[in-house]
Amino acid sequence: MLLEARNLHIGYGDAPAVWDVSLDVAAGEIVAVIGPNGAGKTTLINAIAGLLRCRQGELRFDGADMTSVRAHDYCSHGIALVPEGRRLFAKMSVEENLELGCYLPAARAGRDQSLERVYGLFPILRDKRAQPAGELSGGQQQMVAIGRALMARPRIVLFDEPSLGLAPTIVDDMFEIIARVRDEGAAVLLVEQNVLKALGIADRAYVLEQGRIVSAGLPDELLKQPHIREAYLGV
Amino acid sequence: MPSATLLGQALISGVLAGGMYGLLALGLSLSWGLLRLVNLSHFALAFLAAYLTYELGTTYHVAPWWSAAMVVPAMFLVGLAQHWLFDKFKVNELASLLITFSFAVILEVAIQLYWTADYRRFETPYSTLSIKAGPFYIPVLELILCLVAGVLAWGTWQWLRKTYVGKALRASAEDADIAAAYGVDYKRLAYLLSGMCAAYAGVAGTFIALIATLAPAQIWTWLGVVFAVVIIGRLGNPLGALAAGMLVGASESIAMAILSPAWAPVVSFSMLIMILLWDPEWL
Amino acid sequence: MNAARDLPKLVAGLAIVALAVLPTAGLPAFYDSFVYLVFFWVSLSTSWALLSGFAGYFSLGHAAFFGVGMYTTATLTTKFGVPFLLTIPAAAAVAALLGVGIGAVVFRLRRLRGELFALLTLAVTFVIGTIILNTPIDGGGGVFMSAVPLPHLMPTPTGTIYILGFALCVLTLVTAWWVAHSRLGMGLFAIHDDEDVAEAKGVPTFRYKLLAFALSAGIAGAVGGIHAMYVGFLTVAGTFELTVPLYVVLMSVLGGSRHWLGPAVGATAITTLLYAFISGGEAMIGRAVVGLILIIAILWLPDGIIPAIQHWAKKRRPAPAKARAEVVPAEVVPIVPAKVLPIGERHILEVRAVTKRFGGLQALAGVDLDVREGEIFGLVGPNGSGKTTLINVIAGHYPLSSGTVTVDGISTGGLAAHEIARRGVARTYQIPRPFVTMSVLDNVALAATFGRPVRAQREIRDEARHWIGFTGLAGKEAALPAELNLHERKFLELARALAAKPKLLLLDEVLSGLNPAEIDSAIRLVRAIRGQGATIVFVEHLMRAVVELSDRIAVLNEGKLLALGAPREVMRDPRVVSVYLGKAYAA
Repeated sequence: MLLEARNLHIGYGDAPAVWDVSLDVAAGEIVAVIGPNGAGKTTLINAIAGLLRCRQGELRFDGADMTSVRAHDYCSHGIALVPEGRRLFAKMSVEENLELGCYLPAARAGRDQSLERVYGLFPILRDKRAQPAGELSGGQQQMVAIGRALMARPRIVLFDEPSLGLAPTIVDDMFEIIARVRDEGAAVLLVEQNVLKALGIADRAYVLEQGRIVSAGLPDELLKQPHIREAYLGV
Repeated sequence: MPSATLLGQALISGVLAGGMYGLLALGLSLSWGLLRLVNLSHFALAFLAAYLTYELGTTYHVAPWWSAAMVVPAMFLVGLAQHWLFDKFKVNELASLLITFSFAVILEVAIQLYWTADYRRFETPYSTLSIKAGPFYIPVLELILCLVAGVLAWGTWQWLRKTYVGKALRASAEDADIAAAYGVDYKRLAYLLSGMCAAYAGVAGTFIALIATLAPAQIWTWLGVVFAVVIIGRLGNPLGALAAGMLVGASESIAMAILSPAWAPVVSFSMLIMILLWDPEWL
Repeated sequence: MNAARDLPKLVAGLAIVALAVLPTAGLPAFYDSFVYLVFFWVSLSTSWALLSGFAGYFSLGHAAFFGVGMYTTATLTTKFGVPFLLTIPAAAAVAALLGVGIGAVVFRLRRLRGELFALLTLAVTFVIGTIILNTPIDGGGGVFMSAVPLPHLMPTPTGTIYILGFALCVLTLVTAWWVAHSRLGMGLFAIHDDEDVAEAKGVPTFRYKLLAFALSAGIAGAVGGIHAMYVGFLTVAGTFELTVPLYVVLMSVLGGSRHWLGPAVGATAITTLLYAFISGGEAMIGRAVVGLILIIAILWLPDGIIPAIQHWAKKRRPAPAKARAEVVPAEVVPIVPAKVLPIGERHILEVRAVTKRFGGLQALAGVDLDVREGEIFGLVGPNGSGKTTLINVIAGHYPLSSGTVTVDGISTGGLAAHEIARRGVARTYQIPRPFVTMSVLDNVALAATFGRPVRAQREIRDEARHWIGFTGLAGKEAALPAELNLHERKFLELARALAAKPKLLLLDEVLSGLNPAEIDSAIRLVRAIRGQGATIVFVEHLMRAVVELSDRIAVLNEGKLLALGAPREVMRDPRVVSVYLGKAYAA
């Protein structure tokens, strides 16, 4: 098991956001966590990426206990984050953003190859490589964010609401790319508001509502349950 | 209205003087832009380096470049120590302004206690050397200063642009959390940068000793102008700092030639005020 | 006679009398001079703190006002023969005008706070100094005051200057005390903690900052006027050097810049210390010690001496209530009135064709909706649909790009946020933004003060207590927001909003971050609030709660209204379902 989370309690200051969450991601899987806004999805994924500390619970990556690992050491374990809202370094060029992805020595050695791979996946970025990342459109920025994660040669990529703020046609492309990321060898943990898209590519999924996992299982089964509908629509 | 020659000479002198502004602004700009620390003690450190250069030169007859080889690394260490203090106490920008001001005062007092308030001049055989180009005189020391400032500014700019450490610093200044998520250890880099800024003050100090007359109170004379240069040149931009320095220096010099020397401060501060009020980056 | 309250007043009164007659005691001029300097620095630093300490607008330009005052007196007496005493109010007026001029421009620019404001004020000082240096006002030679006749108020000239300085010092302290206890002061303290929220609660921030700046500058000008006589010979370098602005900062920070007496304490301490060093021949060491003290003060006593003493005294007092137990939120049992008020026909809020652009981003693309009096109106939509932007536009935090917003018949588009607050609109923030240095009671009292007609302090405080009790926070009036948990802070947000007795209450994700028990509590409270007669528009993501609570729901998508109607109908509308879950679900 690549990623194991057990009984995570996470909060901001004294505001608890996630209660008693456990989940697993195995190598080669795409696991989705779906839930409405405010469910705590970003909190959860930020904690798994090392941006937030968990108050309680265990987080293991490939057997290693991550609780005492410092934020800037998470990446060296093979974890790469595609944050909500992209969070690119807007004043830096596209290529510089990608290069930050392979900042760590291990990934730095393969810089040129990785860059080629990313430009191969996203040809338009090659044209815009010298442009400041802040000037790109939403969809293009998302490509840069994904590319940045890939440059780190990760074993697992964490996606935080990749479809947010993107036009519907681009969203389809985005999910295709996520599937390709898995095909190229990294596991994927994906939190999403967009239920159908997420369940469409996931191998397994969890439903998060108000900071708690209310349901888990195979996508087809989850679609049949009323939980999702109630969580999203209240009826 | 002064003659063309006089104006031309003023322009040259101004640009050269601007080199000093730019050199002083370099460390301050990097520190404010990339570390979010407003370091008023920068000037005091430069003067400390100047006085040390003077002391080594007059008492021990050490040539300036040798004393620089000792003083600049010493300043680097001082920069590290200063950052340690800020890191330990989690100081914010406004507090850093006040604390570094106090450092500057303490340093000024220390300098005055050891070297007294008398004017000190480090005489070297090349103090008065100047090149004649047509009708104009170009003082050699100041020319070298500008070249050194240019090399440092350009070098720093390249370092920030091309190296991984430089990119990591720029990224951390924009979004420290995400940079950390990709492995950037901001704390270590901040120490490095802090040391560098202090080292730059050391370099500036060496030239101050060579070019200017030293007195402890002089620490404050450059404060206002250099701040104006830092803002005009944009925070964290080494080339901008140098260019702004030369621009301000030239403007001051020409204003001085046309009006009178005493009007110089109005130029730089008016530029600062205008930039703050109208520039979109600051709005 | 209440000893605790009257004794300090008695002591102060005696001290004032003693100080006033000191010059007649025949002591060497040294003492008059020293005490005068104490008055000087007390007046200067206290006046600085009026804007920079109270409101947090850190100015490094106090020397500009002080210098302008000095030179006004110098010029009027030496060049125009105006009697010295008359020039002092003139100096104050000129300096105050300068302050208003600077403030009128700078306070409109949102970005110019913090270090940039400090820099700007510093730059202005240098410019003014240079102008004075290069014009006949000084001209470089300095100005001699020795020939100016000094009125004979005290046996000696030093004594006369002393008594003038003393009078001004007393006036300054009285002013500071008055400001601190007035509406102006309350507004300034709020601006210090969170200017945008202060504006939203009805504080006329621009006007208040300008007023504080004018007072601050005017007093500094008067101080300068008197000081011109003291120094006898003015130079630009001596007047406009960096010492003045930095020392006043140091003295205020040391003593406590938010307390009216703080700068006085700091000024007295520092001046005495410096004088001790100077008379001992160790002026230099004195400066270094002062620098060291500032460093220690900022690192260990960031709020200053007086607050530290107050904090210490508070700890020593017998602890009143029970220790805060484990987080079991107080059961809020607000009374839901037996009869629920019917929803009126009148429209409290009318939004017509409202658009909002941020640069290239169209956040609102033409929204139309009406909210009836007494309704609980839910506003939902996926992320990025524009819900929070709409709330911000209605509250006046952002100006709208086009369209109209009408609150109870009054068009509010284009009004400043504090004006909109005064017209009966109150809002809460998703992440609570209380004024962190004010107690719970003061937070609520502030909201009850602004945006409502002027009333007596006692009445306001009683009303504040009522709302605190209503939201279940009774017993926590003296607590600071940092001592409350999230649930309590959210309810503080509500109490603060209610204290403004709004017609329209805008709630921004008030339920986020709460556990199920707290959510039930909050829902009951929202119903109780409506029972008091308010109309509520609330943005929320917790769909089950929205459906339960709302009379009607509006669904926004991509900046436009998608659906509007009764909760269950709207949330079953195929278009809405499709937006949230995709087309397959909608089928």
